[in-house]
Amino acid sequence: MSAQAGDQLPELVKHPTTRQLVQYAGASSDFYEIHYDQDFARGTGLPGVILHGLLKTAWLAQLVTDWAGPQARLKTYEVSYRGLDFPDRPYRCRGLVRSVEGGLAELEVWGEDADGNRTTLGTATVELGEEAP
Amino acid sequence: MTPTIGTSLLDRIRARIGWESPARTTTVEAGHLRRFCAAIGDPNPRWLREAPPTFLVALGTETPEIPEVLEYGKGWLNGGDRFEYQEPVRPGDTITSRTMLTQAYEKQGTSGSLLFLIFDTEFTNQHGRPAARVRGTRIRR
Repeated sequence: MSAQAGDQLPELVKHPTTRQLVQYAGASSDFYEIHYDQDFARGTGLPGVILHGLLKTAWLAQLVTDWAGPQARLKTYEVSYRGLDFPDRPYRCRGLVRSVEGGLAELEVWGEDADGNRTTLGTATVELGEEAP
Repeated sequence: MTPTIGTSLLDRIRARIGWESPARTTTVEAGHLRRFCAAIGDPNPRWLREAPPTFLVALGTETPEIPEVLEYGKGWLNGGDRFEYQEPVRPGDTITSRTMLTQAYEKQGTSGSLLFLIFDTEFTNQHGRPAARVRGTRIRR
């Protein structure tokens, strides 16, 4: 693929539900109750159940791998959680190419809540593969 | 200065730096991979042959229950995660993971103090080669 600094990644929008949180809890073995038990979540001072940070991380990884294509390989990937996100609200995954050098692309990615707050910030280094410019 | 209870708890937590989980060995099952991809909602057919980037956490990075740590605050929050990939993980691979507590420090948040814990997990495949490394930042509040 031909990537250039400044390119934007095609946006990915997710519509999480409590059902998906339970599904993710089971598939990841993360059974912390703040992700599916409203009373438990409120008992720890949260307004209600929240998304797993690592579920948002999986979506931002999908944003990157969808854009990079089947030849590409993720080398490093880092995220920082800056805000809480809740089910039944859309979650927008966005990103841009910071630099491309020697077949390696440095990306900036982030997730936005329905109000446009960047609640997850991340970076990724992608080896673009054989078709790289 | 008189030491407070909070300080001594932090000291006891800091004394656990270097704590290491027992090694855990798991075979990557195709069915588990499928369920994981369904749960994250990523239909990419590549993930039938290879684990998607965050699948490793489903093999063993759940936050260890160190008793001193659980005395601090009311609950956990996730601060961040960093992944370094060396070799793809595929169905049928046997992956061994080990987690170590490498840092513990306190920060003042807007609603009180927070305890930050850094856990490093190494994933090794059946060939004895490193497959990935994950650094998780977990917060007690």
